Amino acid sequence: MKKRYIFIINILIVGLILFIILKYANDRAEESNRASIASFEKMTTTTEQIIANYLEDEQHLCDIWSNYINGSAEAGTPMTVEEAISYIRKAKTSPEISGHLIYIDDGSMAGISTTASSTDSSDYSVKYSHINIFDNLEISNVDGVVNLTRAYTNPLNGVQSIAFLNNVKVVDEETGDMREGLLLRVVPVSRLEQKLVFLKGEYEKVEISLIDWDGDYMIHGKSLKNSNLFEYFKSYNPMTTQEYNRVVDSIRTETGSMHIRNSKDEDSVIAYAPLSNLDYWFIVAYIPAKELTANRSIDWILLGIVSFGLVVLLHFNLAILLKFNRKLSVAAEAANQANEAKSYFLSTMSHDIRTPMNAIIGMNEMIIRDSKDEKVLGYSENIRAAGNTLLGIINDILDFSKIEAGRMEIINVDYNIASLLNDLVNMVQRRAEEKGLTFELNVDKDIPRLLHGDEIRIKQVITNILSNAVKYTKEGSVIFSVASSKCEDEPDQITLHISVKDTGIGIKKEDRDKLFAAFERIDEKKNRNIEGTGLGMAIAQSFLNMMGSRLQVESEYGTGSEFSFDLKQKVVEWEPLGEFDLAYKHFLSERKQYQVQFVAPKARILVVDDNEINLKVFVNLLNETKIQIDTADSGDACIALFKRNSYDVIFLDHMMPEKDGIETIKEMKECTYTPNQKTPVICLTANAISGMRETYINAGFDDYLTKPIDTNRLENMLLTYLPKDLIGQADVEEEKPPSNTVQSILVVSEDVGFLKRIKERLTDRYKVVVVKSEEQALAYLQKQEAIDSERSEHE
Amino acid sequence: MNKHIKTILSMTLITALIFGMTGCGQTQNQNQGETTGQNESQDQNQSENQSEEVTKEFSPKYPSDTEYKLSVAGTYSNFESLESAFERFYSHYPEGEIQYTYLDDYSNTIRQAIVGQEQPDIYVVQPWMYGDERYDCLFDSAEVLSASELEIDLECIRTDLRWEMNNGEIKTLPIFATSYGMLVNTDIFEKEGLEVPKTFDELKATCEKLKAAGYESPVMGANTSTTPGIGYAFAYPMFAKTVKDDRSVEDDLNNLVPSAGETMRAALTRLNELVKSGCIDVDKCTAEIEDDYNAVILRFFEGDVPMMLCSGDVVSGTKKRESKSEAFEANPFKYDFYVAPSGDEGGYYMDSMSLLFCVNKNGANIDMTNEFIRFLTSEKELGLMAQEKRLITPTKDYSLDEVYASLSEFPEERTISFRDTEILDTAVKQFRAAAYAVVNGEMTVDEAVAAYGTIETK
Repeated sequence: MKKRYIFIINILIVGLILFIILKYANDRAEESNRASIASFEKMTTTTEQIIANYLEDEQHLCDIWSNYINGSAEAGTPMTVEEAISYIRKAKTSPEISGHLIYIDDGSMAGISTTASSTDSSDYSVKYSHINIFDNLEISNVDGVVNLTRAYTNPLNGVQSIAFLNNVKVVDEETGDMREGLLLRVVPVSRLEQKLVFLKGEYEKVEISLIDWDGDYMIHGKSLKNSNLFEYFKSYNPMTTQEYNRVVDSIRTETGSMHIRNSKDEDSVIAYAPLSNLDYWFIVAYIPAKELTANRSIDWILLGIVSFGLVVLLHFNLAILLKFNRKLSVAAEAANQANEAKSYFLSTMSHDIRTPMNAIIGMNEMIIRDSKDEKVLGYSENIRAAGNTLLGIINDILDFSKIEAGRMEIINVDYNIASLLNDLVNMVQRRAEEKGLTFELNVDKDIPRLLHGDEIRIKQVITNILSNAVKYTKEGSVIFSVASSKCEDEPDQITLHISVKDTGIGIKKEDRDKLFAAFERIDEKKNRNIEGTGLGMAIAQSFLNMMGSRLQVESEYGTGSEFSFDLKQKVVEWEPLGEFDLAYKHFLSERKQYQVQFVAPKARILVVDDNEINLKVFVNLLNETKIQIDTADSGDACIALFKRNSYDVIFLDHMMPEKDGIETIKEMKECTYTPNQKTPVICLTANAISGMRETYINAGFDDYLTKPIDTNRLENMLLTYLPKDLIGQADVEEEKPPSNTVQSILVVSEDVGFLKRIKERLTDRYKVVVVKSEEQALAYLQKQEAIDSERSEHE
Repeated sequence: MNKHIKTILSMTLITALIFGMTGCGQTQNQNQGETTGQNESQDQNQSENQSEEVTKEFSPKYPSDTEYKLSVAGTYSNFESLESAFERFYSHYPEGEIQYTYLDDYSNTIRQAIVGQEQPDIYVVQPWMYGDERYDCLFDSAEVLSASELEIDLECIRTDLRWEMNNGEIKTLPIFATSYGMLVNTDIFEKEGLEVPKTFDELKATCEKLKAAGYESPVMGANTSTTPGIGYAFAYPMFAKTVKDDRSVEDDLNNLVPSAGETMRAALTRLNELVKSGCIDVDKCTAEIEDDYNAVILRFFEGDVPMMLCSGDVVSGTKKRESKSEAFEANPFKYDFYVAPSGDEGGYYMDSMSLLFCVNKNGANIDMTNEFIRFLTSEKELGLMAQEKRLITPTKDYSLDEVYASLSEFPEERTISFRDTEILDTAVKQFRAAAYAVVNGEMTVDEAVAAYGTIETK
């Protein structure tokens, strides 16, 4: 996992924890707030009851006055206004409170007060015609439990007051008529305010207001501006009319609380309740929300501590992570060093094994060429087979090394599919026959003859598959099928369908994953006698991947397996391959049996190798080209010859004691006095591991040739680098098969026309016998066998 | 790696901050119905915010923990601009409370209150109270604000509104001024490519163009005989200027001597010209404007009236009614107050006092009352109050309210202050009635002039 993902996850976890803490703290605070608000509402309700009781008491005192006055009237001794006021003056105990008695039956709203005007101590008259406090009251018949006016200005002393009302009947002193009067017990608002001061309880900043139905205040605290609560609310809490009406309805009809914004845009809470026994009066308690809400500073402290703790934890984790990363870096470095050691080992092994192998295979080749002794030739053939097997194993390891290092290259060339198939068939058919297996070949006749691709790697892949098929099949057959189809999206390409089916031991399902794993060998115990590194299929799969394909396996354990793959190849020549046997023969007929490709008697080359046998092999391999070959067994000897003689090509071994090939060529390049300034220098190397080509080219070599040296490749390389004027045509002897080696073909068919055509077509090269039936064929064969046995006896 | 650690540390702290803010935000969201109103509330508090600059200039005399309780008695049932000033004062003296109280039947009850058990510390007086012996007590009880020891900066008040008593003492603090003129829909003028007219000729020419552009009655107003009515708002300043120019006629006017009616001629003639010129469709005004306050504002907010005659008091109601007018809400426009262009050289600016405060020298908290008045008497503080109330500031600086910007540096020779004339209410009522009669064709100018002193007033 990348470091930044670890950081992000850590941060997310820290964030999540902080979020949870905050959420929890908030929830708790909300819970606490709800409890505080509930408590505040309760305080408001209690206050409401106290105020209601007080107002009821005041009303009750007013009622006592009016009952007394009305009692007199009912008793037939009605009081005059002056008598009534005189009675009230005596009855009332508080000087702040006054009684006003006004006539309402004539609409004058004028009368007498218990106290004189503040501006004229002799004036007790009072008039309410200019003060509209009775608009919403049925003053002719006040019958509520509490009959209360709004807060108004007492016309006699200019004091804001409220009045409790009751109807009285008095007698008009002048006319003697009974008059309808209204008795007002006038109480200064300040008196009520003073009582409220003691009702605040635990809330120091609470402001208690009394409002009427319209929201006008009877009393209000300093925070509630405006003369009307609803107007105030609307001014600082903009909302739709619908929402506003809902708020107003809540205050008028419910007991509860709500948050509002005050004139400073601060969050505040108002609790409200209707006053009991009073129509249209409500208590509203206001308090800044911060006074109610829980002090959250403790949450912040907690949050700070937790945040700090988490950051410390994060640092600690990062430090640990850093430590582990350092250890991992060290381990990775060690692994890299081990890998380098492995590469070095492979390089060394390659050289150390391939160099003597060069000698063994080369000298063996000499034996095969020169010896006439069948027994010796048999031994030599075995040496060649074993040598080739060993080289195969080394090559596998080197290939795998290249693949692992990502340095394996796919080199596409034009190739003849017939030749490729021929090589494969030659390789596998012999081995199959040796194991007594039937080898069947199904080749699509429409495959284009010339294709473009990495012939070597394709051959290597198929060889691996075929070798495995033969290896793991004890009896039965191996069927090698090759077909092709055109690519619709790329008209210049075809898809080769390769399949190898065997009747071998098969692969268990659970082992299929191991099939392409390096150095894994399936069913190790059972197959312990089978040679191999366990790299074959892994290499094959890797090559196919590099070529855009994939090896498919179908297998039934105990019954057999089928390996197949599809491979896109560019077509160079669309001429169809035709019947493979015929094509093969045609190819053979075109391709001359190996002969020396050229002669160059005037060419002179220098071969440098510290191994004397290798020098001999090299010289012998080129014997028939008649090239003049000088040899040198060290770098110094090479340089001496390099300065003295002119050469057309120089072959220089890489791994030499004292002065190796790279040091030698470096010295050669620095040498100015030499006739070989432009002479190509080819590196001879047993190092065929990845990356060596670049090394040699960079060191100054023109090319490199791997050991053991293949004659064809050597000759091809010389053809490339020798001046063309030095190359001559080799004398090719026409190889004519001895007459006694002409092969006979027996063709059985009822179709006489077909038999005739075959005979005409093949007569030149074969002895063709045509028969119409099996009986004729058997008769012919018996006869022929008799002739052969007779001939052998004769010989 | 250090870079990574720093990055992580920063991101962690940022994350904590974001979550913290998210968490804290939840409480705010509880507020019922107020979430969307915060920005708008800010507008309302703009004046309070602006006042922070003011408060820096104000240097309290007393310790900030001084406890006090003051009361202000007034004629406004609702005085939010003053309550805003209280709030600003609280920032210096938080341990006190100032309460504004509306007195019922103010002109009678204030006299009782000023000598009563609960005397207000500050009370409202009107210029017309001066000289009426019933109200002598109000002026007798008033503190001398010009006393140097009080350090009240009365210099910020316009000279015309600084009311010096006969002995040179200043006992009143003008809070608001008012005038008569017209509300102008400046968007219409901009749209039609016209300038707001300054003279009567320009007015007629402008009205012609506006009528051609489809405005049936370029000038409108309440067809009433009250102060915000068509006749009074347009012609009274001109009438007052006539009196100012020849004060010898004042006594006759105040005594309702018929011959003094000639003083009205010029103003009434110009008013008659206005009506006859077709600048104003009186019938349309009668039909569409039911009263001289609410209806005037709401009709103006319909957006199709280029000029609406009215008083400054009407202008003071515009701010609150913007949100009550669906038409204005849908299509808001810019509007300003201008003096009505009644004269040949230009209009006449009546610089009148609207509201005055007196300090009760017998109040229980006289020191803190004076301290509050000292706080209040500044160009910015009075300007903020006027801005909130949308009345004309009594100070020299008109800049706080753009609506009244046109009054700034108005020519002195065409300005009439309350000290320039002493026209009694009875005479004023005669002029109002005469103007109404002329506007409505009930009287010719000659008839109105001749009938001075006997014109029926409502």
